[in-house]
Amino acid sequence: MSTAAGGPAGGGLNPNQVIILGAVGGLAGIYLTMLNQAMDTTIFSFLGGIGAIFAAVWGADAVRRVCSYGLGTGVPSIGMVALGMGVVATMFGLTLPKVIGIPIIAGPIISFIVAAIIGLLIGLMSNKILMMNIPIMEKSMVEIAGAGALVMIGLSTAIAGSFDIVAIMPAVVETGFIALVFIGGAMTILHPFNACLGPDEKQDRTLGVAVSKGALIMALVGFASLAVESMDAMSGALTTIVGLVIWVVYFKKFMKNTHRDSYLVTGTGLLPSEEELE
Amino acid sequence: MVDPIVMDLGIVALTGALATIAGAAEDLESDVGSQSNPNSQVQLAAQMNFPHRIFNKAISGEPPAYGLWCASGATVASVLMAKEMSIFFAIAIGSFVAAIILGLFSVTAHMGRTASQKRFKQPVYMDMVLGHVPSIMAHGYIAIFCIVAFSYIMNHFMGHPFPLPLLAFLWGIAAGAIGSSTGDVHYGAEREFQNQPFGCGLNAAFSGNIVRKGEAGLRNGIDNVWACAKFGGPLTGLALGMTVFLDNWRTTVFEGMNTIIAGLIIVLILILANRMVEVKARKAYGPYKDEDGVEIA
Repeated sequence: MSTAAGGPAGGGLNPNQVIILGAVGGLAGIYLTMLNQAMDTTIFSFLGGIGAIFAAVWGADAVRRVCSYGLGTGVPSIGMVALGMGVVATMFGLTLPKVIGIPIIAGPIISFIVAAIIGLLIGLMSNKILMMNIPIMEKSMVEIAGAGALVMIGLSTAIAGSFDIVAIMPAVVETGFIALVFIGGAMTILHPFNACLGPDEKQDRTLGVAVSKGALIMALVGFASLAVESMDAMSGALTTIVGLVIWVVYFKKFMKNTHRDSYLVTGTGLLPSEEELE
Repeated sequence: MVDPIVMDLGIVALTGALATIAGAAEDLESDVGSQSNPNSQVQLAAQMNFPHRIFNKAISGEPPAYGLWCASGATVASVLMAKEMSIFFAIAIGSFVAAIILGLFSVTAHMGRTASQKRFKQPVYMDMVLGHVPSIMAHGYIAIFCIVAFSYIMNHFMGHPFPLPLLAFLWGIAAGAIGSSTGDVHYGAEREFQNQPFGCGLNAAFSGNIVRKGEAGLRNGIDNVWACAKFGGPLTGLALGMTVFLDNWRTTVFEGMNTIIAGLIIVLILILANRMVEVKARKAYGPYKDEDGVEIA
């Protein structure tokens, strides 16, 4: 059962499968953007956006699982917490290699680990100090923070073409695009469950919304990268086009799933009669 | 030659005017789709055996939602301005893109939630989607355009150090928060529960029993925005307009410590005014009494 005030959420994919999908897919997308540096191009930046979509699906599933314990109005707050933890961990993790002089390749992994630690602390505080007593709180907060950090790094990399903080600072932070990365990333994680909340919520429909919304934000960050000097216009356009194509596919899928899951989808009509409601 | 302070105050007045329009449009947009606080009763209605034709759009809370629309609009506008498009068109196109995104989020929020209420037999009416989403986008467009525009004025003419997308994002959150706290009361407490005597409070037994029938036919989100445009919307506009105007006014007219003192005095006056309005309302309407004058709520 997956109600707004019920117990654990179920679905076709079990939590471990989604965790592997999100963490591996997210990190793979982010690390594959290193092809840019290897081939002296920026065309592979869109892979950062793809990685962000994988991570968003993971985040949305974690939100779905924790919020099924009756956190109806807390869904947006959980999403904001995710990216709040994510932004701190991302900036710390991506900057640290520069400060202590280790290869920048360690940056995303450090961010991911730091996010997990912050998530664990917040999860412990929620359960032990605030007494929320949600059985999966600690685990979920680790997952949400990790996913939040990967979404942020993925989207930032799609704008800057690299996860090197030297590239991200002028392209993402100083331009102010970090605002879009922050809130866009948060909405891809919090919106899917908030949009599909209810006793007859289905995992594939909810996670499909995460993909389509992630793709929409990916299209936007692709457009934002057009203003970044180090990026060529083709790379930004490719990120936008790939994002829009994924969005179209998953929006159609969402419509199909809505028709499948609804009591009735009708062009127009009166309210169900008393007899029908019985 | 115009005195620079007159010019500055003119700019301050312009930001206030834009914010007033933005606030009103923001609240009305959320009322079309029953976003934010009133949403819980719309959501509950179907579950309490009251199926309805009111647009149920729980994208997220209003502040994060408006943070996203304004950050998106400002991002697109910044890119277009960097490509040397005229400022007016850049902001207009940015706001249009953001309004489309708002429309897309509205569709998933409405259809997703309704589909998840299958066991309560709440149908998805496609004519509602087609009828409400353009209205949501239109109100949203006005709000986003005005917020991005006054953020641009603050950034460009008033020398605010934050870049445009970040500033628009912060003002989007502020607009959403003000819309959520000011205008929602009018819709949630008054319009949704017009079938209850004024001031009686919401008994738990009435949860979800919202007004579902209109003056003619079944009530929908567009009927609700018609009612809210008379009071809730303008009041929200006034609240956001005053916030932006007074804040910019004090930083324009005063300098240094005086700015902070002026801010504190404004807050003090507002607290006192709020208290006076509250006391006056309590005296005028008092506790809810039944026909025999016995206090029941």
